[in-house]
Amino acid sequence: MKKITKEKLALFWELLARRATLYLPLQEDGVVNFAPWKNGARVNLRENSLVPPKNVFFPQAETYLRFQTGAKKLQLESLEPEEEFILFGVRPCDVASFTILDKVFLEEPVDGLYAKRRRLGTLVSLGCNEPGETCFCTSFELEPAFAPGADVMVWDMGEFLLWEAQSEKGDELTAKINELLDEAAPEESASALSLRNTTAAGEAAAGCQQEWNTAGLQEVLRGKFNVELWEKLYHRCLGCGICTYLCPTCHCFDIQDFSRGLEGERFRCWDSCMFAEFTLMASGENPRPTQKERVRQRFLHKLLYFPSKYGLYACVGCGRCVRKCPVHLDITQVMEPIK
Amino acid sequence: MSVNLKQGPFEPLIIAFCCNWCSYAGGDLAGTGRMTYPANVRVIRVPCSSCVSSNFILRAFQRGADGVVVAGCHPGDCHYTSGNYFARRRFLLLQRFLEFLGMEPERFQVHWISASEGNRFAAVMTETTEKIRALGPNRKLRDTR
Amino acid sequence: MKQLSERIKEAAFGSLSSGQVEMVIGWQKGPLWWQSFPAFITDPGETASLIWDPFSVSNLNKYLLNEVPKKKIALFLKGCDALGFNQLLRDGRVEREKVLLFGIPCDGLVDPARVEATGLSKGLLQVKKEREELVFYYKEGQRKAPARDFYYSKCLSCRYPNPVTCDEMLGEAVPCQPLERFANVSKLEAASLEERFTYWSRHFSRCIRCFACRNVCPACSCRECIFDIAEPRWLGKAKESGETLFYHITRAYHVAGRCVDCGECARICPLGIPLAELNRKFIKDINELYGEYDAGADLDKEAPLLTFKSDDPDVSA
Ligand code: SF4
Ligand code: SF4
Ligand code: SF4
Ligand code: SF4
Ligand code: SF4
Ligand code: FES
Repeated sequence: MKKITKEKLALFWELLARRATLYLPLQEDGVVNFAPWKNGARVNLRENSLVPPKNVFFPQAETYLRFQTGAKKLQLESLEPEEEFILFGVRPCDVASFTILDKVFLEEPVDGLYAKRRRLGTLVSLGCNEPGETCFCTSFELEPAFAPGADVMVWDMGEFLLWEAQSEKGDELTAKINELLDEAAPEESASALSLRNTTAAGEAAAGCQQEWNTAGLQEVLRGKFNVELWEKLYHRCLGCGICTYLCPTCHCFDIQDFSRGLEGERFRCWDSCMFAEFTLMASGENPRPTQKERVRQRFLHKLLYFPSKYGLYACVGCGRCVRKCPVHLDITQVMEPIK
Repeated sequence: MSVNLKQGPFEPLIIAFCCNWCSYAGGDLAGTGRMTYPANVRVIRVPCSSCVSSNFILRAFQRGADGVVVAGCHPGDCHYTSGNYFARRRFLLLQRFLEFLGMEPERFQVHWISASEGNRFAAVMTETTEKIRALGPNRKLRDTR
Repeated sequence: MKQLSERIKEAAFGSLSSGQVEMVIGWQKGPLWWQSFPAFITDPGETASLIWDPFSVSNLNKYLLNEVPKKKIALFLKGCDALGFNQLLRDGRVEREKVLLFGIPCDGLVDPARVEATGLSKGLLQVKKEREELVFYYKEGQRKAPARDFYYSKCLSCRYPNPVTCDEMLGEAVPCQPLERFANVSKLEAASLEERFTYWSRHFSRCIRCFACRNVCPACSCRECIFDIAEPRWLGKAKESGETLFYHITRAYHVAGRCVDCGECARICPLGIPLAELNRKFIKDINELYGEYDAGADLDKEAPLLTFKSDDPDVSA
């Protein structure tokens, strides 16, 4: 295991940023979000980002086609992401969200844009020292301080960060920045393991405050399409996009054209099942006519349809919807009564 | 579509929404009277100044306008009696709001021009064009695509 | 507060069990200390679950748009909510006879973010208000602090803490000591054009277009919103600065003269975009140009954008 002392971090960012675009959790106006690091940016390694890092692989809007008419033939040009990047500081829950997105985007038919970004990116995960009040990743068999899916795993040990490569990409990155890394002493390496254990144990203040028994939840939900719960829950929903846009596993999108004169472009952009427009058909018919059907869809998709198809829940317990839904219609509100 | 995309020195694109009954007729008069005003100004005829929605103005800026003018009958002379009185309140608020967001106030202007004021039409459009030329291209509300 | 929550339960129980209303909208408590949320109750037996606590901030009046056509409804209004209710009424979106209103004098509610900022949230189980103080409960005891230090900024500048309308007032009127609400607007006005542009670009760039600010707003009550119309699509879905500006200008402009300054949009924005300053710019300008007007409160005055004077200040200057 390697380590890097905190005084060297500024230098470290600079070095990394020279290799590739470096996304870090940056704080601006009190809000932490992943964004390309620039000199002088305020890095926040204490809080997880508000907008999940899914937007690095699956941006809120991305243009993938340009077109031009007018000449004899329609001219088309497809666009692809080209830039290598390092995504640093992703929490283990969010790393797990990529496993879920991978199911959607990397199985046939493969989504070229997402696949390319996955190839271009090196994922550095930062373990959680102290899961937040709304975190419940352990309920989905995840560890707050360990992300097997990351290329590199990093732990914040106060004075220094521990660094361990976990994949080929991780080794490559380590080799490139070796000059700033020191070898960690055995007892220092051991401290990472003890952090993993205390945070995963779910004990007192160190672990996740919320524990949900998710085993069998899927079975319980089967046949719950028409239960009264939905009737009870939906009234308060505002139909905003907060829960879906801030959810690291939500992946619905829309395709839109933008044109001016004879040229234009086609892009895909996030969409949300919480919007009435989401299922509105050209005929005017809407198969999910009220917020009730929409709320039900969101939760059944995450806890029933997705696991039925792919074998894992489409929630990683990051707690963003718990924290940010303005009317507390979060996923735990469904998991509780349904049991 | 934008004039600005052409090579050479900057030529502003100005969209002028002109009410049918006064300002558009004023523009006509300027034309028939052989007064000149810059070709940078593209006139769009509307029934009344009060029909100009903020959507039209913002969209013009998004799609490449460097300045937008709304022109209507003088207060008191609106063909629909009071349209421009309402418009006057709305546009003053909009103008101040755009400035609050950091847009140069000169880029969105409202003028009252009667059907008989061909001279004034030409003068207003010339003056506006020069002002905007001096400001340079609008980038603030513009679609970057 | 204890007393008030009892009166809320009684009012809800009374109006439901007498058959006067078919539904009561109030607040219930979630599992975490800051979670209080809108509750829709039709069974008198469930009214005991209603609460009033320092986090009962959700505005309930907007739900009338979904619920009222079917039934008569009772709902609880704080000062800011009453203003919003009046605006919905004025915009012809609710029928007064179909609602029973219980007023709640409210001297301010607690912003969980401010509790977190002080570190008091660690291990926090419950927060109660006792007169001017908040009591924080933990496993190992309690701590106290002045309540006003934790209030939402919308509450600190609230000018109508006592509902301006209701059928029955639950509780004594509270004193009103609002902070100057235009301070930030004035500060921005004094900045240079470029500074203002940078300021707003920075904030707007965070906007994810979740539309929560619109959905919560009692002045945004159109049956079909311009932002949802697909043909023509006025608001595109790209993450593009021009589109975002279009959204923010249009939202604020559409509520100009009708925004009651309830502060809900700014409170609810997950990205912390200072929407209040946009709304208040319009309010400030309207006050300066056309005379003081308080949407939601000045019911005898004409709405400033639905009227004019022949000697209004000119725009062509
Ligand atoms: S559940 Fe909450 S966050 Fe999601 S749409 Fe409804 S109100 Fe918005
Ligand atoms: S449903 Fe909520 S807790 Fe689960 S991953 Fe999405 S935002 Fe996080
Ligand atoms: S609530 Fe905030 S993020 Fe959502 S649309 Fe409004 S300003 Fe944008
Ligand atoms: S714009 Fe904001 S402050 Fe104004 S009424 Fe709507 S929610 Fe309230
Ligand atoms: S933003 Fe405008 S169109 Fe949309 S609901 Fe509000 S007032 Fe209506
Ligand atoms: S008709 Fe000319 S301004 Fe109304």
